[in-house]
Amino acid sequence: LFFSPQFASSFSSETALPPNLRLPSNLVDPDRLKRPPPPEDSSLPLIRKCDAALPAHLSPVRTWVDTLESKDSEPLGLTELHPDVFAVTPRLDILHAVETWQRNYKRISHANTKVRSEVRGGGRKPWKQKGSGRARHGSIRSFPPLKLNCGVSHGPRGPNSYYYMLPMKVRVQGLKVALSSKMAQQYLHVVDSLNIPTPDSQYLLELIRNRHWGESVLLVDVSQEFPENILQATANLKTVNLIPAIGLNVHSMLKHEAVILTLDTVRFLEEKLLWHDERYTFLYPFKLPYSDFP
Amino acid sequence: EHFLQKLQVCVVNLCLKQTIICSSGTCCQIRMHPIPQPKQVDRWNEKRSMFGVYDNIGILGDFKAHPKDLITAPCWLKGFRGNELQRLSRKKKMVGDRMTTLDKHNLEKRIRFLYRRFNRTGKHR
Repeated sequence: LFFSPQFASSFSSETALPPNLRLPSNLVDPDRLKRPPPPEDSSLPLIRKCDAALPAHLSPVRTWVDTLESKDSEPLGLTELHPDVFAVTPRLDILHAVETWQRNYKRISHANTKVRSEVRGGGRKPWKQKGSGRARHGSIRSFPPLKLNCGVSHGPRGPNSYYYMLPMKVRVQGLKVALSSKMAQQYLHVVDSLNIPTPDSQYLLELIRNRHWGESVLLVDVSQEFPENILQATANLKTVNLIPAIGLNVHSMLKHEAVILTLDTVRFLEEKLLWHDERYTFLYPFKLPYSDFP
Repeated sequence: EHFLQKLQVCVVNLCLKQTIICSSGTCCQIRMHPIPQPKQVDRWNEKRSMFGVYDNIGILGDFKAHPKDLITAPCWLKGFRGNELQRLSRKKKMVGDRMTTLDKHNLEKRIRFLYRRFNRTGKHR
């Protein structure tokens, strides 16, 4: 979406916002917000209830369940989503921390400069210490202006890593915050399964355009094996991407506008993310066997 | 693509000479460079759209793998962070017997220099 800033008129009233606080009016696509969340007394069936026990003071979040079978079809039913995963307080600082972690922990910078001892040559004293009238030097590789190909004393040194790990619970909370933000901004949609009638990319694009999901869509399914049709349809599309549920992460959710989960994915995510709320801290890494590990 | 890069290099080096006629009537030749084209970045190529996938493979995948197994790096830097002395000594431990003689000699010289610098000079030793 391209938005043009509105410039302040010279006769602005005192109640007008300053230009750096004014939001452009076409930030949010109004067609997407035409469908309100399902009301209490909706006639559609409740397909899935939350598996985990809900605390008494929280009520589950209800969403429509769509199909990908036909382009303009009505929602199949309703789902209940756990509020501790899909309705968490929007912690932008945790999102920022997790996003920077994702960018940096894999980063290896291969910038390297040679020190004066590593530069080829330069073992001999160029002129004698005293008597020549020039500045005293020990080698031609020490520093400019002696010779251009000198060594760098405080430059980048070799392949350097920026690896660090955030605490596990912070990363889990980052996922929960990202999912709840997508839910709150109505960018999250639940689908019963990723079965498409045709392996045509145009069908997917028209479906997305009809339902006003957004420009870029992230499709998430539980298993590593996807139906043939959707694999072929998304193969040539750049902005529509398909990932297994294990590959879900904050950066991809922020990069793609809309996130589409299947019912199995929702159950899988709730099970994995809610376990961290009530677990004991580990005595040894979780990859080693535990007797009571779920 | 190589040809296009060469063309672009030619365009960059080409300096146009414009004749400017001043108000008094004299002509002078001014040299001007064309405004460079902004570089076209594809924000949705394979690498950028799939960036960060499988970063939570530990949390969501039963802790069978760790995100540090995903890093593509020299083997002495996978899942490790340290200052220069720590990195070099780790490199010597893990890869030292496979290195060329010149590289190993430089590595040892650098480790010796850094050890003496960190542990014998300055305020923090």
